[in-house]
Amino acid sequence: MPEGRKGRTMVLVDIRETPSAKAADIFLQIRPGKDFELATTLRALVKGQHVDAGRVAETGVAVERLQEIVDRMKRARFGVIFFGMGVSMTRGKHMNSAAILSLTAEMNAFTKFVCMPMRGHGNVTGADVVLRWTTGYPFGIDLSRGYPRFNPGEFSTVDLLVRGDNDAALVLGADPGATMPQPGIDHLARIPTIVLDPKVTHTSRLARVHITTAVTGVSARGTAYRMDEIPLPLRPALVSPYPTDEEVIRRIRQAVAAKPAWTPAPATLKGSPYTSDTGRRL
Amino acid sequence: MNAGRTTKQGQQINIGKDSAEYQATVSTVTMHPDDMKAVGIHAGGSVRISTEHAAVVFTCVEGKVPIGMIFVPYGPPTCRLMGRDTDGTGMPTSKGWEVDVEAVA
Repeated sequence: MPEGRKGRTMVLVDIRETPSAKAADIFLQIRPGKDFELATTLRALVKGQHVDAGRVAETGVAVERLQEIVDRMKRARFGVIFFGMGVSMTRGKHMNSAAILSLTAEMNAFTKFVCMPMRGHGNVTGADVVLRWTTGYPFGIDLSRGYPRFNPGEFSTVDLLVRGDNDAALVLGADPGATMPQPGIDHLARIPTIVLDPKVTHTSRLARVHITTAVTGVSARGTAYRMDEIPLPLRPALVSPYPTDEEVIRRIRQAVAAKPAWTPAPATLKGSPYTSDTGRRL
Repeated sequence: MNAGRTTKQGQQINIGKDSAEYQATVSTVTMHPDDMKAVGIHAGGSVRISTEHAAVVFTCVEGKVPIGMIFVPYGPPTCRLMGRDTDGTGMPTSKGWEVDVEAVA
């Protein structure tokens, strides 16, 4: 794109005017809770289907304005839809995200379009990427059967903690004690929680053990992923008296590996309904 | 009520969540001036915000939010108010809650 930013158009959709509105070319202020309706209207307009102007106006944006946006999207050579937690943490949740994914897929009948979730600060994208290449899934993974299973709502952090399913927690580079629903925080305080963090946080205060670690990128090497999944190598500029997260986890793994397996040895199962009389597992 | 992150908050967490500035940021809600008038809150006054889970007192300031909406940066006070059900998505409902607002004398 020879003109750089000038050759691109940024459309911002939000329920309130944030500082990003100043950086945008077009700002669409929609009514709260109308994300699904907006995405579905755009999908209909992309396909040239009839929409009811009165009902579209309930989103807070007139249909003519949305038609202009759709025309602009079709004229683009390469469009990207970035979506954030305003979509996933508001009423509709997965349905809102699904509508955006469908809109993106359908736009590819006209031009190149992709979409990308706006992941959080720090290295959230890095966690997604590494879990994906190691297990096939980005988050909400259960490995207790020896193979990965993915089920948000069942294995995701908030759900596990709020239901109180887990009886121990290891928290790495996160502060759920300052962000989760209160029953989840209360559960972390009830169970043995171990925190690895360079700083004292809300979570480290409620934890049984807090191991202070070196700051990655400042006094520990590592890799951070940009939101568009470009890996950035980090070189430490300072020396820290504290171990790195990696070193602490490696030492915990070594200590765990040195312990006897938690499953009972076959001999002790003799006479149980799951073993034969010779101790062989059935 | 609409909870979100702000750039200012992102800068403050690098100083520390114990700093007075961070504590003030996550304990301050923004409302439309007309809404504040309707509930009888003066700028910089205290409001009690209640959900089915808890009630928390915040400082209230006027700001550029639509009528009927309260904006608040995420933090320990919003954790207490937040819904706990994720509707099978892993994400709690932390935006677009219906809340009760009353002025605190």
